[in-house]
Amino acid sequence: MANDSIYDQLKVGVIEADTERLLAMIDDALRQDLEPIDIVEKGLTPGMREIGEMFRRYEVYLPEMMMAAETWEQAMQVLDPRIAASTGDRRAVGRVVIGTVKDDIHSLGKNIVITMLKASGFEVLDLGIDVAASTFAIKAEEVDADVIAVSALMTTTMPQQRDVIEHLEARGVRDKFYVLVGGGVTTQGWADEIGADGYGETAGDAVALALDAVAEKAKGSGK
Amino acid sequence: MISFSKVVDRALTGPICSERDFELRIFVPAVRQVVKKYDIRYAPQNPVPADDGLADRVWEAGVELLCETGVYCPDTERRIVFSRDELDAALQVGPRGVIFGEGSDAKAVPRRVPEDVTPPWCSVGAGGGPVSTEQNLVSLVKAYAENPLGDSITAPSLSKVDGRLVVAGSPLEIEGAIRTMVLTREALRRAGRPGMPIVNAVSSAVRAAGHIAGHRFGIRPTDALEIGSVHEMKVDFDSLNKVAYSLANGSLIYGENGVILGGLAGGPAGTAVVTAAYNLVDSLVLRAAVQHPFPTHFDLRTTSTRDTIWVRSLANQAVSRNSPLPIVNIGYAGAGPMTKQVLYEFSAWVIGCVVSGGSIEVGGSAKGVVVDHTSPVEPLFASEVAHAVAGMGRKEANGIVNALLEKYEDNLRDPPKGQRYQDCFDVETGVPSEEFVELYQAVKGEMMDQFGLQFKPISVYP
Repeated sequence: MANDSIYDQLKVGVIEADTERLLAMIDDALRQDLEPIDIVEKGLTPGMREIGEMFRRYEVYLPEMMMAAETWEQAMQVLDPRIAASTGDRRAVGRVVIGTVKDDIHSLGKNIVITMLKASGFEVLDLGIDVAASTFAIKAEEVDADVIAVSALMTTTMPQQRDVIEHLEARGVRDKFYVLVGGGVTTQGWADEIGADGYGETAGDAVALALDAVAEKAKGSGK
Repeated sequence: MISFSKVVDRALTGPICSERDFELRIFVPAVRQVVKKYDIRYAPQNPVPADDGLADRVWEAGVELLCETGVYCPDTERRIVFSRDELDAALQVGPRGVIFGEGSDAKAVPRRVPEDVTPPWCSVGAGGGPVSTEQNLVSLVKAYAENPLGDSITAPSLSKVDGRLVVAGSPLEIEGAIRTMVLTREALRRAGRPGMPIVNAVSSAVRAAGHIAGHRFGIRPTDALEIGSVHEMKVDFDSLNKVAYSLANGSLIYGENGVILGGLAGGPAGTAVVTAAYNLVDSLVLRAAVQHPFPTHFDLRTTSTRDTIWVRSLANQAVSRNSPLPIVNIGYAGAGPMTKQVLYEFSAWVIGCVVSGGSIEVGGSAKGVVVDHTSPVEPLFASEVAHAVAGMGRKEANGIVNALLEKYEDNLRDPPKGQRYQDCFDVETGVPSEEFVELYQAVKGEMMDQFGLQFKPISVYP
């Protein structure tokens, strides 16, 4: 079988979130001496990108995205050690720490953003809901994040987004991270007011901003 | 019907399950299975379907779904599971004909059926939308209450207390909750409707502590506390605490469920089934007197999209044909005050709900999130439309809703934000600008000329 056909099938395996079948295909591909990094970059990643596009076009919804992401993660558990052994670390596009602020228990929008970030190749640390402002700062430092994404759904929890920025400032690490805010009640005006670096009205906006942020950082002209 | 204490017992002792497993291994497969089994398919050309068989299949699918999944409690990581017999018993002995309000404003929320001539319950206000000042809050609530078609008030929430942003979980939330309550009650007195029920008490409160604080300062047993579930098919301790307090206090409850279309319920078919299933959750878990749904589009964040209107219409038909627990639908428009679009958006989903057996609550203009972007004109117009279409056939309504969607559907991605209350109304007198009255009359004229609606002569803004 031509390699292109194998990569196409791997891509479909991710989109269909058929974990068992995908792992079997990966096993076959490795037996045929395909490079693990190529399996990821030519098969799995295009699959995640495609399902992200389908989500944007309303052809699939959150369950399909979450299941594809879960399938991807299981595949990466097989492939990551092999990539590390053969070519050194597989570098994710970037690293994002994300959570919903303290006293806010809304997770759905955040979860959509997480799935779309993963689909775009980001490594994501999900802090969950009801997250203390200091936790964003501490975890971002711990994992050397590029982006901190802070979600709030209510007018009464929005002020906690400012607290995250103030905690970063208090720790003297504000400039190390691109701080992205979003959630039902937030606006560009609010993001500007609290000194956030970006505002994502939709999950797609959030991913685009995160991609821009890591690209700027890579060029050395950004944070 | 099983007692609330049994529900709490099950939250503490039910089958253990991680949240991720509940979502992906239990809930999502169960939704897919019942959607397939009951052959529920979205038909975009019919935002207001007229198929009783489909409505009943949605109801059956919802009941089966709830039997399969139960309700997840994230605090204990357990499922609150019900048997089919327990669900059936809730339908037999659940609340009926509950009266809200006091004195001359006391009234029962009607149980309606599709194409019912019974006028719908009209809850008028801001749907918890934020306002910046106490003066705006009082002026708005007084004007909302002066709408003679308004049966209850859905108050705005104060975004600031003494110039400081209200922070959830802080003493400012407690103060905001108390102040909102006191001011709303005072505004109703000024409107001459002191007995009008407040149905989103306490709008400025997030946590149970805020609800309880607001309760001590003016909420009556004939008002209602809005208590919500968590996306999807979950209820946390904070909500159960609110229920426990409300039951002990003899208070009424609105069971709030905003299923996200595109979220864990999947597309329109799954969202309709989950919305119907919540009717039983509201009855058994939240001990509600009213189901208060607002299926919302995951991306456009409004309830006036074509697919969410289909979900609403179908779920209202499913519930109203099969359950005694009445539905008062809340909704949000993308556009803001003093735009034609906001009136089209509210009209579209209100018509879908009313001809499908539901009642309405309007409204959250500008998605209910932009400070001061709410006015008394939107709920007034919506309640006039709601009364005008009571008794209308679903097929005729479908034609009207399709025509309304054509007017605004393409603008939902970037809807006009409109004007702030203080920019389109005289806050002191509560009177709209001439330009606003002209716009309101123009859209009303369109509804009469284009769709043949006949409005009651209430003459609020003649």
